[in-house]
Amino acid sequence: MNGKKRKAWTKKGSVVALILACAMVFGACSSNSGGSSEPSSSGNGGEKPSKRVTLKVEVFDRGNSPAGATITNNYLTNYVQKSFGDPNNIDVEFVPVPRSEEVEKLNVLMASGSNVPDIVFTYDPNTFNRYAKQQGLTDVGPLLDEHGKKLKEFIGEDLMAYGKYDGVQYAIPAKRANIGKYASFIREDWLKTLGMELPQTTEELYEVLKAFKEKDPGKTGGQVIPMGMTIANAQFEPLLWSFIKPMTDEQKYTLTQQLGSNDYPILLPGFKDGLLFMNKLFNEGLMSKDFGLDNDKKKLGEDVSNGKVGFFSEDDINPFYENLMYDLLQTNVPGAKLTPIDAFTNEEGKHPKPLYAANGMYIMIPKSSERAVEAVKYLEWMVSDDHLFHIQNGVENENYKLVDGIAVAMDDQPQDVLDRLYNSGDMGIISNGKQLGSQEKNLKARAMQMPSKFFAEVEAAQNIALTDGIEPLLMSRPIEAQTKYATTLKDKFNEIIVKTTMAKPDQFESMYESLMKDYMASGGQAILDERIEVYKEMQSK
Amino acid sequence: MRTTSYLLRYWQLYALLLLPVSYFLIFRYGPMYGIQIAFKDFNFFQGIGGSEWIGLEAFKEVFAMKDFYLTLRNTLMLNFLDLLVSFPAPLFLAILLYEMKILWFKKLSQTILYIPHFISWIIIGGIVYQVFGTQSGMINNVITGLGFDAIPFLTSKNEWLITYLLVGVWQSAGWGTIIYLAALTGINKELFEAAGIDGAGRLKQIWHITLPGLRSTIVVLLIINLGHMITIGFDRPFVIGNLAVREYADVLSTFVYRVGIQSGQYTLATVVGLFQAVVGLIFVLGANYTSKKLTDEGIM
Repeated sequence: MNGKKRKAWTKKGSVVALILACAMVFGACSSNSGGSSEPSSSGNGGEKPSKRVTLKVEVFDRGNSPAGATITNNYLTNYVQKSFGDPNNIDVEFVPVPRSEEVEKLNVLMASGSNVPDIVFTYDPNTFNRYAKQQGLTDVGPLLDEHGKKLKEFIGEDLMAYGKYDGVQYAIPAKRANIGKYASFIREDWLKTLGMELPQTTEELYEVLKAFKEKDPGKTGGQVIPMGMTIANAQFEPLLWSFIKPMTDEQKYTLTQQLGSNDYPILLPGFKDGLLFMNKLFNEGLMSKDFGLDNDKKKLGEDVSNGKVGFFSEDDINPFYENLMYDLLQTNVPGAKLTPIDAFTNEEGKHPKPLYAANGMYIMIPKSSERAVEAVKYLEWMVSDDHLFHIQNGVENENYKLVDGIAVAMDDQPQDVLDRLYNSGDMGIISNGKQLGSQEKNLKARAMQMPSKFFAEVEAAQNIALTDGIEPLLMSRPIEAQTKYATTLKDKFNEIIVKTTMAKPDQFESMYESLMKDYMASGGQAILDERIEVYKEMQSK
Repeated sequence: MRTTSYLLRYWQLYALLLLPVSYFLIFRYGPMYGIQIAFKDFNFFQGIGGSEWIGLEAFKEVFAMKDFYLTLRNTLMLNFLDLLVSFPAPLFLAILLYEMKILWFKKLSQTILYIPHFISWIIIGGIVYQVFGTQSGMINNVITGLGFDAIPFLTSKNEWLITYLLVGVWQSAGWGTIIYLAALTGINKELFEAAGIDGAGRLKQIWHITLPGLRSTIVVLLIINLGHMITIGFDRPFVIGNLAVREYADVLSTFVYRVGIQSGQYTLATVVGLFQAVVGLIFVLGANYTSKKLTDEGIM
């Protein structure tokens, strides 16, 4: 090799090495910078309707925009602009936030101070409480009185209470059309093969699961998963709550812990029995072995559609969407029959399972917003006339037909017509689900959205979800320890489930003890103490 | 006068320097302004300036958390094991590649070895799940097919540790060879010829020429790696880890994410970040000092 070339190479080599080294050293320590630009509150006393203003509204981005549309520019955003924006001299600008990290992204948006949307929202009550506590939200009470009469009526006074912090209306709670959550599903064709009946109780279910495992009626070649399980709430909550003993009001209020938007039965009598049952199922090979890895239910969905799973719990209508679980299962395994059942029973023979709170998202207006009035007007517009209906259903005779006052999705809509509503759930922020005036009608409308071949199953699943439902508790004031520790404790709760379930039966006890101790020390005790205190206040009032 | 003519002559070089220097000022020194969050009760809406000073309150809170020590231990443990397993791997690979005489095969191997580096950890996580899963992972399908019990590669802590380390080697070893290969080109070929004439075989040549030729590179990389003992990437433990092995898989970066970012407690996140930076600095200085004493090689 000639010397010149070698020298050049050496240099190149050391430069490369240096660059890489630098990247390594400095790449690792990144720090958070939060600009502190205070929004200039330029004395905006009187309204100037002549000047065109911009209203910024948060919108969830699920990354599912069809070709030709973006999450900030599509049929529905244009509808909002034309129907609400233009007449009021407002430019409505949508600020996308990824659905999967809404809280993190919202925190960053809020901390950045600039470009904060005028309307933000979250499902997480702790995030709402934190913002309210830090004095970052507009008191919407007076604004609603002045500009939101229909809005107040639409939400209703009871529901409005969810948006209060220390008695001040810091958020507008969205209204939920349906509060049912979970149902369970079983392969009825497997039962038929085995000559067994639909299980009505937990004991019967256990026998069925054992038969699924031993006789493998689906001929999966040893791959059978008698009970599909994950570490997502929909799979373990129906099981665990069915083991909770009947409780007094005091137990209910003090021993439940709300982590995020769900209530957890961690301290309630019977919780440990539920874990023991899971441990038994796992050690007898009746449950998915890798359930602790499946936190997005992907694996479960795969296994169900491939015909490996005999029984599982899930959000009531989730298995019935087009091209998902059941639909795929029917393609993969001809003759497969998935039937909704209510198998878990408590000691009274009831089927308790959690319900949703009556509220949906917390819709908030940051204090820094100069467009609070316009923001309320926007929500008022949404509930006025048929705007919400249009956002949820589209255009008559193109997207839907009216049958008995219920909008029924038309079959065989052209793709571009169908695409109009791809984000309708995220645009009609004031309501979760269709509002038709009564629970019954709402449920029917919900069922009609699903593929018509599954109509009967969907209706059955919806009814199961409402049977013996347990409503989430509303404390008279927010539990600060929950706001603080919820994320950590949610993780620890899941860890308890995974580890006690996977423990060898003789190690269950010690595993449970040590994990519970850790849970209590990491904030569980603080929540318990505060809940007891607040409960006493509630009693003395 | 002398400086002016000097500057006139070399101004282009200084102009070139302008960009990197401003990069460091803006992105590496500017954000240090935010360190004060660690000493403040950070309020989203008041901003950094408007939040109240709380002294060392947040430090006390973090140091009282059991999870902090668990994640600290795991961070050190995973990094230390990674250093043992993943640090020598590229060195071996680089020497093997260097010794290859068939050029096309060498190029092909290099390319194949680099590929994993360009795959995101999220995707690797999916692959790992498919390959090592207990229920229906590829490897366990073979194992159970042969009539043995499935091995919980991902859900039992010791097995998980081995999976974690080996996946790390697979992902990074190929890419890590680049620095060594670059340094290897700097070794005088005549040394090998002379050694060959003197009767040294391949292994002797590697031992007496190649490795000493790489010594300074190895030391520099080791020091840099030691500086990272306390920091750990987020993706790898977060994606490969799971609740069943949290005892080992929960590290400082995932702790910061959970307690700081997800729970909106930026003060706590900053405290941990600052702690990591200070300890990291101590590690680098210590390693540099030791290395200078022992080998005369160092990074400053």
